[in-house]
Amino acid sequence: MSGALRFNSMHFMPYIYLPENHKDYKSLWVSFPNKYFDPEKGHELYNRYLSELVMADRLGFDAIVVNEHHNTVYSMMATPNLIAAALVPQTKNARICVWGTPPNFMLPNRLAEEYAILDVMSKGRLEIALPLGTGMEYWSNPVNPATAREKFRESLKIMLQAWTEDGPTTHYGQFYTYRFLNPWPRPYQKPHPPCYVVGTGSPETIEIAAELGFGYASVFVTQQRARELNETLRQRAAHYGHTLRPDQLPLLTFVYVAETQERAEQEYIVHLQRFFEDYARTSPQFLAPPGYLSTDQLKMRAAMADKMHGGFDFQAISKSFFIAVGTPDKVANQIGEWSQWMKTSHINCVTHVADMPHWKTVKNLTLFAEEVMPRLRTRVQPALRAAAE
Amino acid sequence: MSKFARDTYTIDGVKTVVYSAGSGEPVVFFHGAGTIDGFDFAEPWTEKYRVIVPYHPGFGESGDDTSFTDLHDYVMHYLELFDTLRLDRFNLVGLSLGGYLAAKFASEHGHRVKKLALIAPAGMIDAMHPMLDLLAVPGEQVPGLLVSDFEVLKKRLPEKPDIDFMADRYREATTVARLLWERPGDPKFMRYLHRIKMPTLIVWGDEDKVIPVEQTETWRKFIPNADIKVFKGAGHLVHLEKREAVDAVARFLG
Repeated sequence: MSGALRFNSMHFMPYIYLPENHKDYKSLWVSFPNKYFDPEKGHELYNRYLSELVMADRLGFDAIVVNEHHNTVYSMMATPNLIAAALVPQTKNARICVWGTPPNFMLPNRLAEEYAILDVMSKGRLEIALPLGTGMEYWSNPVNPATAREKFRESLKIMLQAWTEDGPTTHYGQFYTYRFLNPWPRPYQKPHPPCYVVGTGSPETIEIAAELGFGYASVFVTQQRARELNETLRQRAAHYGHTLRPDQLPLLTFVYVAETQERAEQEYIVHLQRFFEDYARTSPQFLAPPGYLSTDQLKMRAAMADKMHGGFDFQAISKSFFIAVGTPDKVANQIGEWSQWMKTSHINCVTHVADMPHWKTVKNLTLFAEEVMPRLRTRVQPALRAAAE
Repeated sequence: MSKFARDTYTIDGVKTVVYSAGSGEPVVFFHGAGTIDGFDFAEPWTEKYRVIVPYHPGFGESGDDTSFTDLHDYVMHYLELFDTLRLDRFNLVGLSLGGYLAAKFASEHGHRVKKLALIAPAGMIDAMHPMLDLLAVPGEQVPGLLVSDFEVLKKRLPEKPDIDFMADRYREATTVARLLWERPGDPKFMRYLHRIKMPTLIVWGDEDKVIPVEQTETWRKFIPNADIKVFKGAGHLVHLEKREAVDAVARFLG
């Protein structure tokens, strides 16, 4: 692996027609009434969003990314494999990343089968992330958050066994019994599609990724924390005898590109603000169902939440998180610096947020692909090269 | 807990803290799914009885055992603790989740329970009068649902948000989730309630917002000989709100 950067375009596919009284609801997750979903509008949105993901492929993004959430306006992708299946025949080159279905919410053999089907259909373009699932998903799915981590481990073991060992095999575990584990088809890529674990920094999750030699995608953590997590993961992976490649540690960044800095901010910030204040809005109860976190993690996060109160402040939030907004030069420079600082070659760009209209998404995708990517692709990445060697 | 002496035991690897006071016939008290109500309400019983109050594993001062995934694990834990304490036959009182556990213990090991008192017990599957699913209630709303007169509980709660207090409640909710998240009710529990033959008292507050007082009638169907006492103006924590309820248990024990 050379130091060449790789660019993903990630979409959340939000439901953007929020009712006027939505601020009355503390959470737009879990319990936000689904009477507010209008299927006519949903139909338009699915088609629009699919076209934006297909466009990313045509424009030369290396990968397109979908993911899974339940009971929320934040994402209309309750079953992302359906979305991925719709994308396979419409795209040519981009890798298709399902990042991903929490294995705890599906029978592991069935999830292994669905991923294998997508991988075979796309001739090996599939990449997979294996999340534990947010706390919110455990209120929406009938799965015990207190035993989620044990179940997650067992599910991964079954999926890997299904992909890598000639069947039929057996599995007798705490949560599942398989007398004939023998799924057809098997994945196109050998031994299996590239896998990442997704997390917000729980030590338990990092340990799983390290042990299996999987990539790790940290989400919704600060820049500093993301860097620490990458470092921890490299060390823990090494402990298990794995050397992580720079492309195994994707950096999640929000991006918006326009002709000038002012114009970029003027066109973008309003949507970013709605993303944080509305689409991501949920309650402490839903974030941490009983047993989802250790009490130590709960205390840490509660202390952090106390510090972060206050309104949306673009300048402050841009300093804490990876958010690249501005001219092609500015965005390219920021991403270039971050990739070196994080020692990663994998840039996962959120190219659409909240109620950003189609024209802005098209503009953002186009400018990023035509102006930002070429600037970065020609650049020498000494730190990465060193890391790779 | 001034009157109570604190002892620590290791039961099958789990740190188990037991408070006890008084002398006479033993009375064991099983607390509920939270421990903010404390045990000082039980002091009047110590005048005549040896009162034994263990913290269940995963609650209060006792240690955790993450392998406890079923209420029956607690039955087994208590068989071992009672053997250690050389308690062969005793009176058993249980509150809420502890009432569920006490009834389960009594249905399985009736020869060891002299008399059984259940205070607003959980465990009954009653489609007409279902128990409130406290796991689905935001933590800050729970205390208000436990009592009829909030002043009774207020002094036991921190005055302002307190991370340690919150973490203690989260830990206890985690223990409950391990037992009940996927299956809040176990039909097998009712299947064997008819085995409870010892004298039984059921105590309830008529303003219980967690388990409707109407469930007393359902309990009566399963344990026809049970004596039922309902106290007016009391909520789920009837033992905190009404001294008469505590005295009624003492009178029943004899």
